[in-house]
Amino acid sequence: MSSSLTLASDPAVRRPRRLLIVLGAALIAATYVFLVVVQPAEIAGGVGSTASLVSLFGFLGGGALLVGGILPMLSTSSLVIMPLGIALNIAIGQIAGSLGMQIYLDAIGTVLVAVLAGPAAGAATGAISNAVWGLFNPLALPFAAGAALIGLLAGLAARYGAFRRVYFAPVAGLVVGAVGGLVAAPVAVFMFGAAGTFGTNAIIAVFRSMGDKLLVAATKQGLLSDSLDKIVVFVIVALIVYALPPRAVRQFPFARTYRVLGTRTGTGTGSADGGTAGMSATGSSTGDAADSRRTPTRGNDAGVA
Amino acid sequence: MPRRRIYNPLTELLAAVLLVVLVLVVDRWEFSLAVLLLGVLPAVLLSGRPRQIGLVIALVAGPLLLSSLLLHGLFFPEGTTVLADLGVARVTVEGLTFAALMGLRMTVFTAVLLTAAATLDLPDLLATMTHRGWNRKLVFVVGSAVGLIPHVAERAHRITRAQQARGLVVGRGPLSRMRALLTVLTPLVIGLLVDASERTRMLEARGFSSPGPRSSYLPDSDTPRQRRTRRAMVAAVGVFSAAWLVGAP
Amino acid sequence: MIALDSTRFTYDDGAPLLAGVALTVAAGDHVVVAGASGSGKTTLARLLAGMTGADAGSSFTGAITLGAETVRFRGTPGDPRIDPARWSARVAYVAQGAWGQLSMMSSTVAEEIAFGPANRGMPAQELRRAVDDVAAALHLTPLLGRDPRRLSGGQLQRTVIAAAVIQQPEVLVLDEPFQGLDDAAARDVAAALEALRRNGTGVVVCAPLLPSHAPQGARVLALADGRRVFEGPLTEARRAGLRRFGIGTQGEPLRLGDDVVPAPVGPAGPELVAVHDLRFRYPRERGAAGPPAGLTGVDLSVVAGEVVALRGPNGSGKSTLLQHLNGLSRADSGSVTSGGVRIGRQPTGALAATVGYLFQDTDSQLFERTVLREVSYGPRAAGMRKDDAARRALLALDALGLGEFAGAHPYELGFVQRRMVALASLMATGPVVWALDEPTAGLDEPARTLLAGVLARHARGGGCVLMATHDAVFADAVAHRSVWLDGGRISPEGATPR
Repeated sequence: MSSSLTLASDPAVRRPRRLLIVLGAALIAATYVFLVVVQPAEIAGGVGSTASLVSLFGFLGGGALLVGGILPMLSTSSLVIMPLGIALNIAIGQIAGSLGMQIYLDAIGTVLVAVLAGPAAGAATGAISNAVWGLFNPLALPFAAGAALIGLLAGLAARYGAFRRVYFAPVAGLVVGAVGGLVAAPVAVFMFGAAGTFGTNAIIAVFRSMGDKLLVAATKQGLLSDSLDKIVVFVIVALIVYALPPRAVRQFPFARTYRVLGTRTGTGTGSADGGTAGMSATGSSTGDAADSRRTPTRGNDAGVA
Repeated sequence: MPRRRIYNPLTELLAAVLLVVLVLVVDRWEFSLAVLLLGVLPAVLLSGRPRQIGLVIALVAGPLLLSSLLLHGLFFPEGTTVLADLGVARVTVEGLTFAALMGLRMTVFTAVLLTAAATLDLPDLLATMTHRGWNRKLVFVVGSAVGLIPHVAERAHRITRAQQARGLVVGRGPLSRMRALLTVLTPLVIGLLVDASERTRMLEARGFSSPGPRSSYLPDSDTPRQRRTRRAMVAAVGVFSAAWLVGAP
Repeated sequence: MIALDSTRFTYDDGAPLLAGVALTVAAGDHVVVAGASGSGKTTLARLLAGMTGADAGSSFTGAITLGAETVRFRGTPGDPRIDPARWSARVAYVAQGAWGQLSMMSSTVAEEIAFGPANRGMPAQELRRAVDDVAAALHLTPLLGRDPRRLSGGQLQRTVIAAAVIQQPEVLVLDEPFQGLDDAAARDVAAALEALRRNGTGVVVCAPLLPSHAPQGARVLALADGRRVFEGPLTEARRAGLRRFGIGTQGEPLRLGDDVVPAPVGPAGPELVAVHDLRFRYPRERGAAGPPAGLTGVDLSVVAGEVVALRGPNGSGKSTLLQHLNGLSRADSGSVTSGGVRIGRQPTGALAATVGYLFQDTDSQLFERTVLREVSYGPRAAGMRKDDAARRALLALDALGLGEFAGAHPYELGFVQRRMVALASLMATGPVVWALDEPTAGLDEPARTLLAGVLARHARGGGCVLMATHDAVFADAVAHRSVWLDGGRISPEGATPR
């Protein structure tokens, strides 16, 4: 039956722009290598302009390329929760920052999006989150690439089962946080002389008093704070997604396909009047690229709950 | 009232970014100070709400400056000219110089960008992005995120009150705090996801996935001249930076 | 113009819904789909809106005819998939709860209304004309420059309707468009719908109650447990005895048993709530048009066994007064004692065992993953042992007929049941003073009756109830007296002693 009201049976898969993604990732990696390998001597003498320029352009530009590559492939349902994740990041991060805590808690939204919608959406959420936050707090801007990396890694961790058991989550958080801390440290050092909150600076001061170089001290602090921060964030996100109604989780093809929450995303009983909480499995007429590879049980995605 | 807008927000934002780039390229404290005093200060004063913007800059940069001063002023093992030895900590000239230079850079960085952002007309920026044919998904994510932030904060406040009415008392220990955080975050996230699933359906119904360019209800405040100006600014800063960096030792 | 013929619709492995239900809507029709919670009216509305998906484990067998075209579904994965963008241009749908239907990226009502056509690339001039036309029809013109995120309930609902109908659809389907609105706002929305209908749009309204006012010739399709129980003109529907299916009529008195009628209260009963010269002002917010009125010298005394309704227009201070009873708001001057506790500086959470507060917005408090854990939270927070708390919770759930849902996730329940879960969690904590904010909003007939019984029992048992409500019928049937508030003070002329 050819119809003007129905969709073609085989939806065109929205492809990521791989070239952009590869370029962005390469730029970020190159920037990091440059900062760590080529420049560590400079910081002791002066504030260094090349290093800060490179870190600003490399990480921001890399983040922008990544976002440009990822966005075209995202389904509407992934797209819609990204602003939500960004708003959560900023709202919670502002509070944690203003309290001068030793951890940042500014990645809860990113990790949440990554767990539900996958690594690509997570990475884009992280990067755009810091760009938007830059409107209120420009100091967040240069950390965009690091935030993207957190989203990417969190999504990968979710894909391989880190959120199927609550005790896996802190382990994944530890690893992701350590990587994130490694990447963020040179940015903090070369852009701002490692200035942070009083809490984080106190930790750096301890390492400095033992004679460490600034980059080394900041890296150690990053490893400590970020790991702790991400352990807490991953556990919080795990507990939140366990408390979500199964139907809310199932509306995301990524979470469904990779059984991100394990057996918890089993079947739920539907009620006829979903009410305001009618968690409809709507939207995404095409799945994320992540699951187009494995052809999930998509069937008819314009759902009713 | 915000001042009357002369330039398109994209032009203003770009100008601010290029100014930051120049400050980083030139890397002289004299230049940074000049930008701060001759560029940012008049802009803030003319913005129509100097007190608010000044306060925001102070709130963002202030704690950072202070903690940076404490960190480098007291702990700078590379420093040789010791002013005071406090046992664990040593006040050194090099440390104080480093803190001052970094502090100045941070201040310029935050002040320039925050002034641009605080006077930014975001709807106008989003409209310009739409008129210039930027990716509609990017425009949606940015616009919707900015719109959601106050909503999220307000909702979190409401939920906190509701949980208090049910007996939530936040204790001092980290576990009690985390439990309190969860009792607020969980309904918050569920509520936002419920909205999001409805919004997904709404976007599909309103043709958000349509091919071709989007149009905007708001008029285009961009002009061909401003577009040329933007290109010229980028080129000028690029050439200057290259020359400066090659010329400088 | 649109015809739905549903053979069967099932969720997961549940019982079939909408078996043998058919509905045809023509130009200028006004159809009310009435049914209690769980009757299948949301499912019907979504089917009309083209949301037939086999996702989330549901399957649909039947056919939908739109204009000359019929789309058939067999409940198999190979079924056609409706194009939401093209379908919505002809059948607009406004779901329950307006917030999720805002794009959140528009800074003005006009932009929000223009969102759909702008997505399709309509040129700016046409866009403006289309927005102006639909705004004029729905009386939204004065609001076009306002921020859509700062509208009142009725204004928001009309904005969402305008955004849905700017494509000039043939049919408009709305799911509970009047939920949570006061009378004036509901009248505005109804007028907007009538304007669209007169222009030839077929209007389908899903509601828990039969409306008291409706356009001439309005039809009713009544559903119960997913089946059709009545179809015909509204005038006949009112006489068809639909009460037995849990479908009441708006504004009609409640039918209560003798044990639910307010019991006489002795004047010597202990005073449970004492408010003396209470004054409170909201802090002025930046950018806000002006803070709500607050309270200016309120005196109130409620004794054990009493049910008191707080009434008055929006913004008159009803909720503000309630919030002083458990310390959510603190008095600037004057004194508040409730349940024998003088409200001072103690944290709000510490008062939960004395004063129970039911929020108008239920969904801001449910956070556990099963109903039982949810309802146990209150008694646990009040210091009870885990099994004691669970026992209290089960008792409260049984009292509200929710026992079978103890293991379900709160958000898998319908709106009415979630509201009852919130009430159960209040009951389980066992406070003597109940402060309820719009307890009947969005409830269907069975739930209203159940609530009336629960309130009466609580009062007989020596507690007291204060409820802020717009629901005159409910207040008249259940409350011993009404206290009228206006502009932050009690207005004596409105008082109605019984």
